[in-house]
Amino acid sequence: MKFLCVPCDQPMNLHSTHGPFDGSMSIVYKCSACDVQMAMLTNKAETQMVRSLGVKIGGRTTPAEPMETLRSNLAVSHEESASEPVPSGGKCPFTGVISDAIASAETESALTWTPEALTRLEAIPDYVQPMVKRNIEDYTRAKNLSVIDDTVMDDMKGQLGM
Amino acid sequence: MKNYNDIATDGGSDVLGQVAEQLDRLNQRLKRIRTMIAVMSGKGGVGKSTVTACMADALTRSGIRTGVMDADLNGPCMMQMMGVSDFKPLSRNGSMAAARNEFGIPVMSMGMFLPGEYTPLVWEANTQQGAYTWRSMVEMSALRELLSDTDWGDLDVLLIDLPPGAERLQNLADLLPNLSGTVVVTTPSLVAMKVVGRSISMATEIAKVRVAGVIENMSAVVCPACDYRDQFFRGDSTVKDLAEAHNVPYLGAIPYDQGLAYYLDSGESYLKHHPSKPAAAAILEITQRMVSWIKPQFS
Repeated sequence: MKFLCVPCDQPMNLHSTHGPFDGSMSIVYKCSACDVQMAMLTNKAETQMVRSLGVKIGGRTTPAEPMETLRSNLAVSHEESASEPVPSGGKCPFTGVISDAIASAETESALTWTPEALTRLEAIPDYVQPMVKRNIEDYTRAKNLSVIDDTVMDDMKGQLGM
Repeated sequence: MKNYNDIATDGGSDVLGQVAEQLDRLNQRLKRIRTMIAVMSGKGGVGKSTVTACMADALTRSGIRTGVMDADLNGPCMMQMMGVSDFKPLSRNGSMAAARNEFGIPVMSMGMFLPGEYTPLVWEANTQQGAYTWRSMVEMSALRELLSDTDWGDLDVLLIDLPPGAERLQNLADLLPNLSGTVVVTTPSLVAMKVVGRSISMATEIAKVRVAGVIENMSAVVCPACDYRDQFFRGDSTVKDLAEAHNVPYLGAIPYDQGLAYYLDSGESYLKHHPSKPAAAAILEITQRMVSWIKPQFS
């Protein structure tokens, strides 16, 4: 898949990736001529399709480890010893370039969402949820908070129009 | 406005380059393997794995360096049949070491990566709903890695034990354009032969894979006491007719033997323990025909 900036008639280049959040990734492309950015938002099935191919969006930064796709895609596998770790980054098709994002995603999962806050998040249309969730979690982290509750959601309400 | 072909790259991912690299890795590995033969049928329960295990044993006894790849990801059984059930995969120098049985036959199987005897193969996903859309893709990736990332060493023959399903050979042929050929296993049951006939057509007409021959499994039952032989399945059509109708060689018939099932269940060599039994004699004879088919391809 390639992206074209129509006004400039120039190819767009990968700029950044965000997620995965609930199986969805946001992949941002930028026009090299006019700097306009656009984001491709994947649904769960699309994320999984890329992952199934054993390729990395953003390109590989490290050589493939033996049976990387197989081992990292198994839901349940042998306990791996310290000398035999599950291939790093293999869980996600985007991690070739964004291992930091995965680390970040893992940190984000450490944040606690209260049921009320989660209900409010789920009321947002599916296609923007990943972006909104990331923004809320970034905001929470910036405030040195670990729980996302109604107060945090209210703080964000004006900014996000929820 | 530019079209797809006017733009040289995909913006930074080089997905096509990554796929090419995967195939290059596979080709590099397979350079050390002189021939690759798929054992197929299309029908389940006819004895593909039994034939694979016994043929690997017999080929090795003939001095042919043989390996076994279990391509049945969802129902792997070659670990048990080849006597390497306890093997745990370990990576070494950028490859995964193959299990080696008591005769040094390298074996690789999905079963080695599953923790329990009854653990089903489940691929991690955000949801298993709609898994039919991507499961076959991840399984092809897994199959490719089992072939390309295993340290097979130098082999004369790699036997690839396929799961049931006529389309499996075509998938494998897509992955391995240099697949040397296929051996087709069937029982003399009319139902099995009809399905297997379609699989042979698929192999020759669609996948364009050479058929080394058809093996008739469970052709008869032999009394262990008096050697009286009776048909296992009754009917007018024969496996020889099936082979003739498709213009492929008939390699021979293996009679049913309880002992064969027993030794494969326990992972021991049936040929070692009972070389003179009718089933063992048939396996050795069929294997010699296979050797005659394989050897000209070595050069």
